[in-house]
Amino acid sequence: MLRLENIDVHYGATQVLWDVSIEVGEGEMVAVMGPNGSGKSTVLKAAMGLKKPSSGRVVLDGEELQGRSATVRPRRGMSIVLERRRLFPRMSVRENIMLGGYARPSAEAHRSFDWVLDLLPEIRPHLDATAGKLSGGQQQMVAIARGLMARPRVLLMDEPFLGLSPAMVKNVFAIMKMINGEGVAILFNEQNAKLSFAMSHRGYLLESGRVVLSGSGEEMLEHPEVKRVYLGVREAVS
Amino acid sequence: MSVAGFLELVINGLISGSIYALIGSGIALIYGTTRVLNFAHGELLMIAGYLVFFFAVTLGWNVFLASLLTLVLVGAIGALIQRVTIAPLLAREDWAFRVIAATIGLSIFLQSGAQLVFGERFQSVPYFFRGVLVLGDLRMPWQRIAIFLIALAIMAVCALILYRTQLGRIVRATAQDAEAALAVGIPSGLVHTSVFVISAVLAGAGAILLSPLISVNPWMGISYLLKGFAVVILGGLGSFGGAVAAGFLLGLIESFSVGFAPTEWRDVIAFTFLIAVIWVRPNGLFSGREA
Amino acid sequence: MTEVFGRRPFLVLALLAAALLVVPFLPLNDYVLHILTVFLIFSVFATGWNLTLGILGLKTLGHHAFFAIGAYLSAITAYYGGVSPWLTVWVGALSAAAAGVFIGFPILRIRSMPHVAIVTLAFAEIVRLVFSNLKDITRGELGFWGIPPFDPITVGDMTVRFGIGNAVGSFALAAVFFLAVHLALLLLLTSRTGLTFLAIRDSETAAESLGIRLSAWKLFAFGVSAAVVGLSGAVYAHYVMILTPTSTAGPEMLITLLAMIIVGGVGRFFGPIAGALLLTVLSEVLREFGDFRMLLYGLVIIVFVFVAPHGIAGLRLGRLRKAERAEPGTAGAT
Ligand SMILES: Nc1ncnc2c1ncn2[C@@H]1O[C@H](COP(=O)(O)OP(=O)(O)O)[C@@H](O)[C@H]1O
Ligand SMILES: [Mg+2]
Repeated sequence: MLRLENIDVHYGATQVLWDVSIEVGEGEMVAVMGPNGSGKSTVLKAAMGLKKPSSGRVVLDGEELQGRSATVRPRRGMSIVLERRRLFPRMSVRENIMLGGYARPSAEAHRSFDWVLDLLPEIRPHLDATAGKLSGGQQQMVAIARGLMARPRVLLMDEPFLGLSPAMVKNVFAIMKMINGEGVAILFNEQNAKLSFAMSHRGYLLESGRVVLSGSGEEMLEHPEVKRVYLGVREAVS
Repeated sequence: MSVAGFLELVINGLISGSIYALIGSGIALIYGTTRVLNFAHGELLMIAGYLVFFFAVTLGWNVFLASLLTLVLVGAIGALIQRVTIAPLLAREDWAFRVIAATIGLSIFLQSGAQLVFGERFQSVPYFFRGVLVLGDLRMPWQRIAIFLIALAIMAVCALILYRTQLGRIVRATAQDAEAALAVGIPSGLVHTSVFVISAVLAGAGAILLSPLISVNPWMGISYLLKGFAVVILGGLGSFGGAVAAGFLLGLIESFSVGFAPTEWRDVIAFTFLIAVIWVRPNGLFSGREA
Repeated sequence: MTEVFGRRPFLVLALLAAALLVVPFLPLNDYVLHILTVFLIFSVFATGWNLTLGILGLKTLGHHAFFAIGAYLSAITAYYGGVSPWLTVWVGALSAAAAGVFIGFPILRIRSMPHVAIVTLAFAEIVRLVFSNLKDITRGELGFWGIPPFDPITVGDMTVRFGIGNAVGSFALAAVFFLAVHLALLLLLTSRTGLTFLAIRDSETAAESLGIRLSAWKLFAFGVSAAVVGLSGAVYAHYVMILTPTSTAGPEMLITLLAMIIVGGVGRFFGPIAGALLLTVLSEVLREFGDFRMLLYGLVIIVFVFVAPHGIAGLRLGRLRKAERAEPGTAGAT
C-alpha cells in the first residue's frame, strides 16, 4: 500500500539517501534496520513528507504523494511517531493526543480519542499531566496514542524502543503487535537486528544511505551478512 | 518621596510597560513560533497610528469604530508582510539573517514612504477618554489609566486564544516542535500567518492607545521596536508570558529612573539594563517558560 | 577560500592601488574627489563590519556604534587635549576595540542570532544617546564642530594639507588609509588566523572540536573589527570636521552600511568595497532626490536579499552557487 520508489535525499549539498526503495503491504510489519547515521530517520521523514526527496516517488494506495505537502498524509491514513517521541513538551497529554487527530473532523477525533484510550488504558491516569514531565516509557505511549489518532492504515515509527527500559521495550513491542493485529501496517526503524527482524514480516538493511539487503524477517535473521556483522557484534557486546 | 509620588511612578511605569508588553509579546509570539525576527514590526505601529488618525480625525469617525477598523487593517498588513516578504525567504539558505536584512529594508522603506506621503508633520489624535482620576494627591488622566486596562484586557484575550482555542493549540504546538506539528498535519503556513496577524493587532492596539499621548510620525516605530526587542530578550526569547512580564518591568525601570536621572538618560538606562542582564543571565530573566 | 577572497586577492588590491594612484592625475574637480574620499572611508567601515557580519558569521547590527566611538573619542582628545589627530585616531580605534570587547564578551557566549543582533543594536542606541546627552562636551545634536584636521605634512618645499576643503590631500590620505587597512586585513585573514575565522563561520561545533578556543577567537575578531571601524570613524571625524550623534550612530548609518555590505556581498572580502562605491556614487547622483535616499536603500536591500543574496561579488561567482535549499522552518536561528 505504501511504496517509496528510488528515493534520493539531500541535506543542503550532501546526499544522505541513494536510490532507496521500500514497500509496505496491507497490514504488514516492516523493519528498516541500520546503524546510527545510516539514514533510517530520513527514510521515514521522506515517506511522511517532512523531508522532501530530491528525486523518487512516494506512493500510497496508488496515489502519488511526492510533491504534496506533509499535511495531506494524516488525512490519507498515514502517521508517524518521531524519534525520541517529540511530544509537545509544555502541553498536557490530552492536548498532545487530541492534536494527533488534528486532520480529522472533531466528532471523529473524539471517537478516535476513546478508541485510542481503550487500546492504551495506561495513559488514562496521566491525561492532565504535562507531557514533558512524563517518563520516557509513558511518553512513548502518548506518542503512539497521538500517532493513532489519525486512524492510520500505515504507522511509521522511528526507533520506538530508543532509551526505554527492557520492561518498557517489551510493553511497546506488545503494543505494536496489538496495533498491527488491528490491521494497521507498521514501518519502523531499529538499530538492533534481532529486535527488528524477529518481530517483522519483512525487513530492509540500510547502510550509508543505501538499501543493501531486504527480505522476509526470517530471511534477514538468517542472512550470513546480518549474522556476521550485526548479530555477531551485538552478541559479543551484550 | 511621597506616597502619591511613588504611586504615580508605579502607575506611569505600568502604563508605558503595558505598551512595551503589547509590542514585545507580539514579537515574542512570532519568534517563538517561526524563529523569525521581524524588524518591520515597529512600522506596524506607525501604520496603525496613521490609520487611526485618518479614521478618527480626518474622517471624524467614532474612535471605537476607527480603532476597530484600524486593527483589522493592520492585522491584514501583518499577514501581507509575512506572506510576501518573510515566507518566501524561509525556504532559502541562511534565511534567519536574510529575514533580518529584508525586514530592516522594509522598515526603512515604510518609514521614508510615510515621510514622503505624510510629510514630517507630527499629528495627534485627541484623547479618547476625558477626565482625571483624583485619589488624594494622585491625579491621573483616565486616558492613561485606560491604556493600562485596555492593554491588559487585550493581552488577556490573546492568552485566552493561545491557551483555550484550537488556533492557540496549533500555534503552541508549532512553537514547541515545528516538525512534530507538521507531522500531525498542522499547516505551518496558516500558523505563521496567524501569529503575524495576532502580533500586528497587538502592535496596532499599542499604537492606538498611544496615539493621543504621542504624535503620529513616520519614525514612531523605531524606539518602540527597540524596546520591544529588549523586552523579548529580557523575557527569554520567544516566551509570550516572559515578554509581558519583562515589558512591565522595563516600564517600571524607566519610570523610576526618572527619579534619579534626567529624562534624556531614560533609554540609556533601559538598554544598559538589557546589556547588564545579558552579561549575567544570557537566557533572560524568566527563562524556560515558552509559549 | 576563493569564495571569500576571490582567486588573487593581492592582485586585486594592487589593481585598486594602481587605480587610486591614477585618480589625482585625472582632471577631477574637488567635489568628485570628496565623494571618492567619503567612499574610501566608508569602504573601510564596511570592510571592518563585514569582518564579523560575513567573515566571522556573527550577525551584529551595531557597528555604527564603534564608528561613532572612534570618531568622537578621537575628536574629543584632539579638540580638548590639543593632541595631534595623527595620534588621537589611535585613541579612537583603541576605544572602539575596547567597546567591542566589552559588548562582544556577553554575546560571544550566546549562539543565538537574535541575541547578537538585538544586543548590538541596543548598544548602538546607548552610544548615540550618550554622545547626544553629553552636551557639555559634544554639543549634542547641534553638532561637534571645530574638530582639527590632520596636521599638514611637509615634504621638501611641498606642504600637503588635510581636512575638508583640501580635496587632494584628503583623498591621498584616505587612499593610503584604505590600502593600508585592506592590506593588513588581507594578510591577517589569509594567515592561519584567517583560516580560523573561516572555520568558526563554517561550523562552530567543528571548529570547537579542532580545539579552537571559540570565545577567545570571537572576542579577538570583534576587537579587530571594532578597531577597524573605529579607525574609519576617527579618520572621518578629522576629515569632515563636524559630527552629530545621529549622523554617526543613528539608524540611517546602519541602513547605509548594511546596504553597502549586502549589495557588495556579505562575507566577500572585496564585496563591501564594491557596494560602498556603488551606493556612494548612486546617492550622489540622486542627490537632488535626497528624500528618496533611504527609500531607495530600503528597496535595494530588499531586492538584493531576494534576488542576489551574495551581492555583486556573488554574481560573478554564479557557478559556485549550489542548490539553494535549506531546511524550511525548523533549522537555523539558534
Ligand atoms: N537536519 C540535517 N541536516 C544535515 N544533515 C542531516 C540532518 N539530519 C540528518 N542528517 C545526516 O543524514 C544522515 C542520516 O541521518 P539519519 O536519517 O538521522 O540517520 P539514522 O536515523 O539512521 O541515525 C546522517 O549522516 C546525518 O548526519
Ligand atoms: Mg534516526
